[in-house]
Amino acid sequence: MATLTLPKHSLPSLLPSQTRRNPFSQSLSIVSKSSQSQFFGLKFSFSSNLPVPSSTPAKTSIVAKVNKGQVPPSFTLKDQDGKTVSLSKFKGKPVVVYFYPADETPGCTKQACAFRDSYEKFKKAGAEVVGISGDDTSSHKAFAKKYKLPYTLLSDEGNKVRKEWGVPSDLFGTLPGRQTYVLDKKGEVQLVYNNQFQPEKHIDETLKLLQSL
Amino acid sequence: MAILPHHKYPLRSLEHVPTCHHLCWSRARLTCSATTTTSTKPRSSPDQLIIEPRLDRLVTTPSPLVTPTRSRNTSPLLNDPNLLSTWSHRAWVATGCTTVLISLAKSMVAAANSHIWLEPMLAGYIGYILSDLGSGVYHWGIDNYGDASTPIFGSQIEAFQGHHKWPWTITRRQFANNLHALARATTFIVLPIVMLCDDPTLQGFVGVCSGCIMFSQQFHAWAHGTKSKLPPPVVALQEAGVLVSRTQHSAHHRQPYNNNYCIVSGIWNEFLDKYKVFEALEMVLFFKLGVRPRSWSEPNSNWTEETETPSPVH
Repeated sequence: MATLTLPKHSLPSLLPSQTRRNPFSQSLSIVSKSSQSQFFGLKFSFSSNLPVPSSTPAKTSIVAKVNKGQVPPSFTLKDQDGKTVSLSKFKGKPVVVYFYPADETPGCTKQACAFRDSYEKFKKAGAEVVGISGDDTSSHKAFAKKYKLPYTLLSDEGNKVRKEWGVPSDLFGTLPGRQTYVLDKKGEVQLVYNNQFQPEKHIDETLKLLQSL
Repeated sequence: MAILPHHKYPLRSLEHVPTCHHLCWSRARLTCSATTTTSTKPRSSPDQLIIEPRLDRLVTTPSPLVTPTRSRNTSPLLNDPNLLSTWSHRAWVATGCTTVLISLAKSMVAAANSHIWLEPMLAGYIGYILSDLGSGVYHWGIDNYGDASTPIFGSQIEAFQGHHKWPWTITRRQFANNLHALARATTFIVLPIVMLCDDPTLQGFVGVCSGCIMFSQQFHAWAHGTKSKLPPPVVALQEAGVLVSRTQHSAHHRQPYNNNYCIVSGIWNEFLDKYKVFEALEMVLFFKLGVRPRSWSEPNSNWTEETETPSPVH
């Protein structure tokens, strides 16, 4: 986890009291280069010249991205109440896993609230909603409380799961990607949807897919 | 590009006629609250932001909204000396105008001598278009980052905060008072180019661009005017889209306070807002530097337009 504190000597008063931990580690952009990212409907593909994982794959963060039809890597993360949650907990019912950049940013707030407002529809479809970002549990707790979010927010500090799932970054690696996966009852990925700046569209797309399952 | 500080007003209150139909004190700048997720676009009402001060209701007792310890929080006076031009202001505006005129004259003379007219005219047009973009980027920057203690830009940042609280004061500010800071910046930046360069195309670009930037504060002031009080040619230019329109700029002063930053022609506003260019920049700055822009936060009384000032005197 990279901790980013602004150098006070270079930008003294431009940074009043707003330094924060950066939940997006530098190595993430390497992973995402093998993925596609959608930005206002445009798809940017990055062909990667990354080496094939060598004899010490455990030390690299380079993994294949999760695609439709695959079973994604499992995870065990803490939710907003500090309880441990595993992906396997949701087996037997559809689950929407959405990766978002950070709590309390405009797009993420819109997206979280849009999931909240359509939560009944997800329940009707028998699906669970899980949001994942690099923020810590206390940030998630405050975010969920402020916007009355009825679903689980998981804390992926260090962006380990984000990397394992191969969520692409946006704007040439400067922004953590906003990507949603819909897993069916068997745990297979049925939809991968990426759209950074139209966060509400994630809800429409996932509901459309869930209703067709 | 500056608006003079609005923070040096004496401690006194002024009752406005509230024309803001929103719940100005409770509106949130994030578009998503606990009860709603949409409606990012503010309702459009061309003259909604115009808060006309009532001349007959000036009072001398401190209003409940005034914080005595911070003069920035006090409501400005109609005849406040800070709104008047001084000879120093006029001198800077005269110097800035002269600099711009020399640049344009050099461009025309060089164009006439070389018989190249198309390129300088095209460069001038590009200068006009880009000045609007420049005004937007600058306005976005100082609206969202830094504070009064920021080097160089501190007074302008504070002034823009004051402008958001009392938008109408710009219409009472005298011409040279409103433009002198930009005129000074124009002089310092453009004069060396004017002296050193004879290229008609470059001079065409620099002259028009710097002229538009220098006068952007006047265009901005006109955008706060009412149709009936503005000169008809100005209204015509606003309605033709040559100058930033009153409708477009009024949206900047309403929730969610994160759009329509450009104040020359406003031609870039739709593009920048539609493609969320500033939101993208804010996100990049947040993830790279950890800085949150003001437009992401709930507004406080220092930012929202002051439209209701309960007055004990009637």
